[in-house]
Formats: sequence, structure tokens, C-alpha cells
Amino acid sequence: MTRSADTGNERRRMTVAESTFENLRLELRRGCLTLAVLAQLKQEHYGYTLRKELAGHGLEIDESTLYPLLRRLETQGLLASQWREEDKRNKRFYRLSPDGEQILARLLDEWNTTNDSISSILDALRQDTK
Amino acid sequence: MELLDRYLQAVRKYLPLRRQDDIIAELRANMESQIEDRESELGRPLTQGEFDDFLRKMGHPMVVASRYQPQQYLIGPTLFPMYLYVLRIALLWAFIICMIVAAVVTPLTQQGGQAVFDALFRTPGILIQVAAWITLVFAAFDFARIHYPETCPHIPGVTQNWNPSSLPPIDNPHANCKPRSFTHTVVEIAFGVLFLGWLLIIPHHPFLLMGPGAAYLQAGPFLLAPAWWTFYWLLIAINIMQIAWKCVELARGTWQWPSRMLQIISKAVGLIPVAFLLTTPDHRYVLLKNPATDQLRYGQTLQQVNQGLQFAFGVVCAIVVLQLAFDSAKWILEAYRSRETAAL
Repeated sequence: MTRSADTGNERRRMTVAESTFENLRLELRRGCLTLAVLAQLKQEHYGYTLRKELAGHGLEIDESTLYPLLRRLETQGLLASQWREEDKRNKRFYRLSPDGEQILARLLDEWNTTNDSISSILDALRQDTK
Repeated sequence: MELLDRYLQAVRKYLPLRRQDDIIAELRANMESQIEDRESELGRPLTQGEFDDFLRKMGHPMVVASRYQPQQYLIGPTLFPMYLYVLRIALLWAFIICMIVAAVVTPLTQQGGQAVFDALFRTPGILIQVAAWITLVFAAFDFARIHYPETCPHIPGVTQNWNPSSLPPIDNPHANCKPRSFTHTVVEIAFGVLFLGWLLIIPHHPFLLMGPGAAYLQAGPFLLAPAWWTFYWLLIAINIMQIAWKCVELARGTWQWPSRMLQIISKAVGLIPVAFLLTTPDHRYVLLKNPATDQLRYGQTLQQVNQGLQFAFGVVCAIVVLQLAFDSAKWILEAYRSRETAAL
């Protein structure tokens, strides 16, 4: 009885920990994806090829996340789009707008600063534990 | 491709009306390219199962469409803290007003107990209505704020124009005191409401207070003096005040360490009804129904009853005063000690 209760508690703890990790991972990923999409759209792409390019760099992203994200970034004025025919099919091509380029530069600065800070914290910790 | 058409049609149903065609055209182009790519990799058309898997991976039409919605919540994070604050305050006051109305109206109606039960069962419905209206107003305001920012006044916000000196002082609980739990406070309020309900029924069912003595009072030669009505209303007012105070503590989040000063004030206010009875002219708490005929027979008993009651009220009053003095002295001593400790 006690052992099964312990197993149940352990399983519940694992599930909670897993769900916490998943939430934090998604939170961390959300901003990174926006940055990656903006960076990748320095070159023109339509939704599917953009997704393939990102996946080629190791950044898998669901269609149902990427396509609405493109719309949102366009609404915010960071992307410009146009319908054009390619391979006998009409496709919507996206590219970074001038505003988007400025914002991307600032976001990259922010990204680098944060990255340096985290590296510095981890280096200091590593030295302390030696 | 028929399945793709059916899928896109299902997605379209949940999309914002103005952008449906545009979004569906783009989604179709992307999905068709993806299918073509997959088919050229395999060197054959997708089987039914593979097509099903592909659509399943895309997500349920409702979920896919929901990602294109500009707003996924009723009240956003900017307004939410303010909404929660207003909701708490409004529910608190709605509850207090319900109690006051029940307390005032019930003794005036003839139904007695039924009126109290009606009032208690009506209260949750009123609270839900209040919550629904507040939610609706905030949701409408948030919608307008996001979609028509130029028409909405700037919200002073709970995050910008706040005054740091308005922060509550640091909790300084006595070392030996345990914090009062949330459940404890809620149970106190629930019992307070039940006690209030019981008080309100008494005029219609005196049996609940006096037991079999109620029948004797009705059949016997005595009746209660009008001063008891004033005493009764004072009791009800104090009870409502105590319930309201506990509700305010809950709303303000200060239930763990109730203010000592307020506790003492509450005890002091509790003295008022007893003091009122003690100062009743001639200390006549019980009267004769027919003084002309019964004075001779029951006059002496009446005097003894009134003297006994006066003595009992005096004892109660003395006990409460002593308790009050003890609590006040303890409070002053604690305040003095904590000031000394702070000075060190």
C-alpha cells in the first residue's frame, strides 16, 4: 500500500517536473524562434521553404506555429509580403522590411548580450566548483 | 486532394472573416508544396494513411485557425491585475450589501425563516451576476484598448503611477502567534453568516433562543420590554460589522495577521448592547402584560426577575471590561517591547 502510494507520488512529481520543463522550454523557444525567423528572412522565402531552411539549421518549427507567426510579424510591420507565381502556383513571399531590419539588429544585440552574460555566469560557476 | 479541401474548409470556419481567403490561399500553397516535396521524395503519391498523418501533424482545424486570431484571451495581462482587484472589492461589497439588506428586510417580513433562507440562496446568484458584469466590462475595455488604442484613454495602470510610500508595513507577527489560515477565516465568515441568519429568525421563532420557555412567555403574564428590540438591532449591526471586517481582511489579503487594535475595538463595540441594557430606565427588562390585574400577584416576581437580569448584565459587562483591559495592556506591552527591540 505504502509502496504504491510512494510510486504514485513519484510519478506525480515527475509529471509536474516534466510539465514545468516543457513550459519553460516553450517560453525560452518562443523568443528565439522569432529571432531566427527574422534573421532567415533577410532572404525572401515563402512559408514552406522558410520552414525547410530553419529545419536545415536544426530549428524544427510546426507549420501551425510558423505561418501565423509570419502574419503577426507582418502586422507588426517587421515583414513585407507579396503574392507571386512560382512553379505554376501562387505563393506569398516574405522578406524583412526596413523596420524589421532595425529591430532585428537591436534584438541580435540583446541576444548577444544575454548570451555573453549567461556564459559569464556559467564560467564563474565552473571556476568556483574547481 | 479532396481531403485537403475538406481540411482547409474546416479551418476557414474558425478564421477571422476578413482574412479568410488570404490565409486559406497561403495555407493551401504551403501545404501543397509540402505534399509535392514529400511525394517527390517517395516517388509516388501519398497513401490515404500518410495523408491522414500529414493533416494530423498540421493540427486540428480549430487549433490551427486559433493561432491566426489576434487575441486569445478575454482580459490581457495589462488589465488582469486591476480586474482581479476590482472583482474582489465588488464581490466583497455585494456580499456585505446582500447581508445588510437581508438583515434589514427579514425581520420586517412575516415569513421569518423562509426569508432568511431565500436571502442566503439568493446571494450566490447575485455574486455571480456581479462577477459576470465586471468580467464583461473589462473584456470589452481590453478589446477596445487593443483594437482602437487611439480612442481609449491611457490607463494609469497598476504598474506605473504607484506610490511606494503607500506600501503596507512589514508584517510583524508575534513570535508565539501562529498565522490564521485562509480556511479558518472563511469558516469564521460562514459561521458568522449562519449566526446572523439564526439571529434574524429569532423574532419569528423565539423557540430557537428560549426553547420551551418561549411557550411559557407567550402563555404567561410577562412580556419583554421594548428595550430588547434596540438590543437586538445593535447585536445584528455588530454581527454585520464583524462579518464585513473579516471579508475586508480576506479581500486585502491580511487574514493571516488580523490587526490587534481592530480586535480590541471589536470587543469594545461588543460592550455597547450590554451597556445599553444596563442603562435602561428603571432596569425594566420584563413587563407585565396586564399590569392592572397582575401587579398584585406577579409584582414581586417581576421585580426579582428584573433585578436578576440586571445583576447578570452587570457581571457580563464586568467580565468583558476585564478582558478588554487585559487585551489592551498586553497589546501595549507588546508594542513597547517590539519598539525596544527595533531600537536595539
